[in-house]
Amino acid sequence: MALLETNELTKEFGGLTALQDVDIAVEEGELVSLIGPNGAGKSTLINTITGRLTPTQGTVTYAGTDLVGMEPFEIAQIGVGRTFQTASILPELTVRENVQVAAFAAEHGSFRINFLSRRDSFDEVQRLTDDILDTIELDDKAETEAASLPYGDKRRLEVAIGLATDPDLLFMDEPTAGMSPAETEMTVDLIKKLQSEWGITIFLVEHDMDIVFNISDRIFTLHQGELIAKGTPDEIRDHPAVREAYLGGEEQ
Amino acid sequence: MSTDNVQPDVEDESSLLSLDTWDRIKHTERFIFLISVGFVLTFSYLFSRAPVVSDVTQGYHGLTITILIWSIFALGFNLLLGQTGLLSFGHAMFFGTASYATALFSIHVFNEPLTIVLVGVLSAIAIGAVAALILLRLHTVYFAIVALAIGQFLYFLASSPLEGITKGINGLTVSRTPLLGLIDLDHRYSGILGELFVNNSYLFVGAFFVAVVMFITRIRKSPYGLIFKAIRENETRASFVGLDVWRYKFVAFLLSGGIAGLAGSLLTLNKQLAIVDRLYWSISGDVVVMAVLGGLGTLAGPVIGAFVWFYFQGIVNGLPTLGDYWLLMLAVSFTAVVWAYPDGIWGMITSLTQELREPKTLAAKVKTRVAGGSSAEESDGGER
Repeated sequence: MALLETNELTKEFGGLTALQDVDIAVEEGELVSLIGPNGAGKSTLINTITGRLTPTQGTVTYAGTDLVGMEPFEIAQIGVGRTFQTASILPELTVRENVQVAAFAAEHGSFRINFLSRRDSFDEVQRLTDDILDTIELDDKAETEAASLPYGDKRRLEVAIGLATDPDLLFMDEPTAGMSPAETEMTVDLIKKLQSEWGITIFLVEHDMDIVFNISDRIFTLHQGELIAKGTPDEIRDHPAVREAYLGGEEQ
Repeated sequence: MSTDNVQPDVEDESSLLSLDTWDRIKHTERFIFLISVGFVLTFSYLFSRAPVVSDVTQGYHGLTITILIWSIFALGFNLLLGQTGLLSFGHAMFFGTASYATALFSIHVFNEPLTIVLVGVLSAIAIGAVAALILLRLHTVYFAIVALAIGQFLYFLASSPLEGITKGINGLTVSRTPLLGLIDLDHRYSGILGELFVNNSYLFVGAFFVAVVMFITRIRKSPYGLIFKAIRENETRASFVGLDVWRYKFVAFLLSGGIAGLAGSLLTLNKQLAIVDRLYWSISGDVVVMAVLGGLGTLAGPVIGAFVWFYFQGIVNGLPTLGDYWLLMLAVSFTAVVWAYPDGIWGMITSLTQELREPKTLAAKVKTRVAGGSSAEESDGGER
């Protein structure tokens, strides 16, 4: 059985249908990408799966659990992490503290009474934090206030926070948007590493077609709220509906 | 509570060292404990009896107790606004409820200072638990206004329907009994102890002051300190990393309310009176002004804010001519400080000392960068 499955997932905003009967299935260990023109419903799909929005109808099942109606923190607790399209960091906290907050949530669960214990006494949290700062290569900026980071570093911190929640499945909403080519390359390497070394299943939303076709195991294509194609990069590249709707032949 | 007590003129290398040492110790619990104990031990003397400071405050020992109590209140309030980012305009609900619970318990059940203070705190937590069910669904200005409404609801409840119990504007009188049946709080010391503390009441309140400062310091150093700040900065993100934001806000609300209640109880015990005014909305407003004026999200800020407030209300108010304008003068100072330094008086002090240190801190930063940034200093922050 697939790790994540949606069944006839539909989301309507008033009269507007943002998602129409979307069926997707993600296997454990895969790296899948979601593509589609602007306004295709990509962010709506992520938001509906991760609990920010409630679907109008349809089901979302993660590892046998029905996610519909669950709070975002409950969904995060069972292993579904996410990063945001606009860097959603904690600006006045240091880089280390940003990661630590998520590490506490991962190690201690959604709530724990420990306001009389010093946080430096939780070794496992400190270890996880150090590990992640090291992986994301932000360890040299650990004591910097997050607000003062350059843009690319903010985006990487965003990934670090998502990673610190210790997810089995990680949704990444345009992680390379606005990055320089060097930063993009670094992020792509990181995503590969998360899949291969950390064993995380990755669900990527990405605009950069080079990246998508380069690293994805499978690709879903969304157009006007409907899933018009799914398959391997090769299948998608030559898929007439995708070319029609989205690529418009510019891949040649 | 000055920030810079290092010798500025020693040779560069060692002065950098001492500033580093200072930065390392100034947020340790032991240091904060020593400072707050030192503050309590000398405050009354320096303020109201020391010959050197100022003669306008001579003889105002009672005011120092009031300042300590309101500092506790402002510290509790600040835990919610400065730390967690929830602005409540209804903290009088805790102050007043605890005040009545303390008085009623002492009159009808059992009268011992520590017991009735504990009862007051518990009553504030209980009212907080009920109010939170309504309030924590709301955000920003709606939270603030509904908190105000709940406070006013309690005020009207206490002033007329329950007048038989609360005695309305006449208030309830609390008689003071010995602490634990042994220690007379009104006992006046003579000699050096008398010079420093005057009486046991001051020490009783002072001990609670230190306890509250240490309690809040520990909360700030705990996972909660970090999680509260995360909620303040970005509540959505906090929930998406897997934190049950509602429950953490609930705890913040109860902790803040409990501390505010402690202040209400102590004031009742100190004034030997519980009156309906303590539930009135202006009490909630006063504590907001103190916390903001002193500096939100800091430990020293609320204490400074309470001090300045009562300096104006108690001292400037009594001056000839000028006295009539104390509230106006306070308002003007408040506006001026907050306009120039949004982080309040404590923010002003820290940024001034930072500027004084600027060349050195720059040099230190360059040094650590050259050395590969090996400084893994624990920066929890007395200042946010």
